[in-house]
Amino acid sequence: MTAATVSAARPTAQRASSARLTFGGVLKSEWIKLWTLRSTVWTLAITVVVMVGIALMFAAIINIPDVETSGADGASMSDFFPSATIVTIGYSVGQLAIAVLGVLAITGEYSTGMIRSTFSAVPRRLPAFFAKLAVLFVTSFVVTLLGVGLSALVTAPLLSNQGMALDLGSSDNVRILVGAALYVATISALSLGIGALLRSTAGAIFTVVGLLMVVPQILSIVAMATGNKVVENIYKFLPGVAGERLLATGGSIDPMTGASASGALEPWVGYGVLVGWTVLVLVVAAVLLKRRDA
Amino acid sequence: MIEARGLTKRYGPKTAVDGISFTVQPGQVTGFLGPNGAGKSTTMRMIMGLDRPTAGSVTVNGQPYAAHRSPLTEVGALLDAKAVHTGRSAYNHLLAMAATHNIPKTRVQEVIEMTGLQSVAKKRVGGFSLGMGQRLGIASALLGDPKTLILDEPVNGLDPEGVLWVRNLARYLASEGRTVFLSSHLMSEVALTADHIIVIGKGRIIANAPVKDIVDGGAQHTVRVRTPQATQLAELLTRDGATVTSDEPSLLQITGVEAPGIGELAAASGIVLHELTPVTSTLEEAYMLLTADSVEYQTESATQHVGHGVDSPADAPISEGAKR
Repeated sequence: MTAATVSAARPTAQRASSARLTFGGVLKSEWIKLWTLRSTVWTLAITVVVMVGIALMFAAIINIPDVETSGADGASMSDFFPSATIVTIGYSVGQLAIAVLGVLAITGEYSTGMIRSTFSAVPRRLPAFFAKLAVLFVTSFVVTLLGVGLSALVTAPLLSNQGMALDLGSSDNVRILVGAALYVATISALSLGIGALLRSTAGAIFTVVGLLMVVPQILSIVAMATGNKVVENIYKFLPGVAGERLLATGGSIDPMTGASASGALEPWVGYGVLVGWTVLVLVVAAVLLKRRDA
Repeated sequence: MIEARGLTKRYGPKTAVDGISFTVQPGQVTGFLGPNGAGKSTTMRMIMGLDRPTAGSVTVNGQPYAAHRSPLTEVGALLDAKAVHTGRSAYNHLLAMAATHNIPKTRVQEVIEMTGLQSVAKKRVGGFSLGMGQRLGIASALLGDPKTLILDEPVNGLDPEGVLWVRNLARYLASEGRTVFLSSHLMSEVALTADHIIVIGKGRIIANAPVKDIVDGGAQHTVRVRTPQATQLAELLTRDGATVTSDEPSLLQITGVEAPGIGELAAASGIVLHELTPVTSTLEEAYMLLTADSVEYQTESATQHVGHGVDSPADAPISEGAKR
């Protein structure tokens, strides 16, 4: 074996001249890295299943005759839950799986030592980080859009049964459907940034879930209880709360809490706030990624 | 070619690497030797741009590593075995690494065969033994067919056949004109593989010399003599230019005179000898002495404190490099 393996090294010497580090190559590498881990397949499968399942559940609920036109003030179910909202509602849980994917994309490399291989191949580091970001964002966007599409298909019979067939001619509906994918993809980018900052899987997942789920809950309760304007404004500008405005229906109703959200941010303004948060986190993460010892 | 100039790394108050300068030449295997915690891995990580030097600089093939347009074809590195995601298969890991530099799949297959990983290539790295992890690390290092190889403890966890394989591979790669820089904490291993040795202890370079010089220095002959008239014999020997040290009253360690000479001198002076044993200090002993305490490392030889301490038998020929 010894003699054979040593001589096998010989025919390679002249060829390597064609090898060159390119951003396209780094993108391809990050694509391979993303798709060759079981955690990716799991988190993405969970995202789609959860989205379709929750959409189906809501569509089924409005088909229960007694529930159909409930609402003490005479508002119908479809006012609270227009069909576009029903089709996309699963994003709120699905985003958590995507957030885990975003965190793991970078913390998984730190915890296993892979990051040293990555930075050996791409010693300038930032191309690897941005390639990872691009691959993650596109994947999250496409998979969430797939989840939305499947949700629309699966709920179509139930919705049309109620005369609520999804109208794709409405620009608001298109904004909500595509916006769900855009919002979730942006959350994946934010999670990647937080993961790169903290370099710890547990810490980063805790932070992301706290930011998306726990902090908004607490602030909204405090704001409601005290009526404090400052708390209400902080709440409005939280990354998740602001970003979710992209999925707001025409009426000024918060799809999550059902509460009236007068003074809430316009959809694209809200999304802009989330993008601002994400860019800020990514820039700080990139600077530290470049400076810190791997 | 690797050139380090005043390379320093501090972690808070602790200095891991203390202003070291050295050059690793192409066409030969350079061993980087030192006890655990001496600063070998830190130095190698700084060469690879993974750790930022506190001071000083290091270049590979004329440029800082990160400045190369095609880093993997310049340098291949094996840094502490498991720099690999445990959830990915060996093949996919290599494929992802190769993709960055547009290295073809055929080369991935080639390094897998070269390192004997065929049977486990599709298995996830998490289940690998240390030896297989080591082979995968070496496969990654060879992927870009690099001009310079940096191997941190490459034989760790390898079976005897694997150790022999690494040794032959390192020598073969050097014979092709490549720079091969490998670290070890085992003098015996490095002595068999390397042409040139850099010894590091407590972050400083203790020795930097061709293996031959270190072997000659380390293999210096000592003669152990047991005699009731130790003081008298020591005086006579010292007068003849020998170096005499002693650990206990009736026992002398003598260098500079061979056993027959000592016997004749003793007989001529009527001194009774109870033991006369030529002792060849091994490389390992020389290395132990070198690294035992780099601060107390002595540069003057030919001291002759009878009944006090042991002189390093290996210091004289390899004292260069211990700057600052």
